[in-house]
Amino acid sequence: MQLYRPARNITFGQDVTADFIKVYNVPKNIAVILRTSCYDCHSNNTNYPWYSNIQPVEIFMENHINEGKEDLNFNEYGNYSKRRQNSKLEAISKEIKQNEMPLASYALIHKNAILSNAQKQEVLTWIKKTKDSLSSKY
Amino acid sequence: MKNLILSAVIMSFVLVSCNQKKQEETINTTTNTTEKVTVKVNPNSFSINEIVSDYLSLKNALAKDNSNATADAGKAMVETLGKIDMKKLSGEQMKNYMDIADDVKEHATHIGDNAGNIAHQREHFVLLSKDINDLIKIFGTDQKLYQDFCPMADEGKGAIWISEVKEIKNPYFGSEMLTCGSVRKEF
Repeated sequence: MQLYRPARNITFGQDVTADFIKVYNVPKNIAVILRTSCYDCHSNNTNYPWYSNIQPVEIFMENHINEGKEDLNFNEYGNYSKRRQNSKLEAISKEIKQNEMPLASYALIHKNAILSNAQKQEVLTWIKKTKDSLSSKY
Repeated sequence: MKNLILSAVIMSFVLVSCNQKKQEETINTTTNTTEKVTVKVNPNSFSINEIVSDYLSLKNALAKDNSNATADAGKAMVETLGKIDMKKLSGEQMKNYMDIADDVKEHATHIGDNAGNIAHQREHFVLLSKDINDLIKIFGTDQKLYQDFCPMADEGKGAIWISEVKEIKNPYFGSEMLTCGSVRKEF
């Protein structure tokens, strides 16, 4: 079992123009939160902890990352249609509000990914502001 | 000398084939322009009827609180989207259609994947209804449709849905508040 090594979720020299942080020109404080708490499973680059080399942790993580990326990939955000981007923003804020994300099982082993109430508010306020400015534009 | 002749032969081949490619390209551009013209002549051959009919069965399943049937309708909608022929659309129309369709697919997929979680299906139904409303606005409808509104849906923010019947059957609350809402607009 320890010999099974799925391909790692790491992409070098990736095109960053479609990245969420570029698309919305996300302020640094929000970008840091997203990178720490969301990007591990919702992008093409995972920051792997040392114990991810131990099975079955690795298999478990691999499934999570694949599912997470399918639903929302921050690296490829710019490829979604404008309307779909808007839906994604709405969905992100709902997930955070309802404490669905970051997943409890992920937060259990990534203590630094847990969002404090202040951080949640920070992200939610930013999303609301961004959505309002978009809806006045379209 | 032999080499020189050989390279001359190769060069001439390259030149000839380059020329041919250019010719092909010109032919391609001409066919493209003629295609565009036919689109302009006949813009109404494109239809969203099938998407709307999938939406209506999804809506009716939600009004009956039937999460599994809702999921099935969502999956059917994803399939329908894959079959839509966009070639009949002009540039601007295609842009509008693709913008909305990408979002429709997103919501339909989530609704299809969440059999058993009707609350989540209803969350996606809010924005899906808005998409369908906008599709109808742009591409029209062959059948009589109504835009209904429930002020209590979407956590009290209020939300619309599209219906084929005048009578109110609320898809956001189902049997809990089946007749809550009103007709806002007719298509």
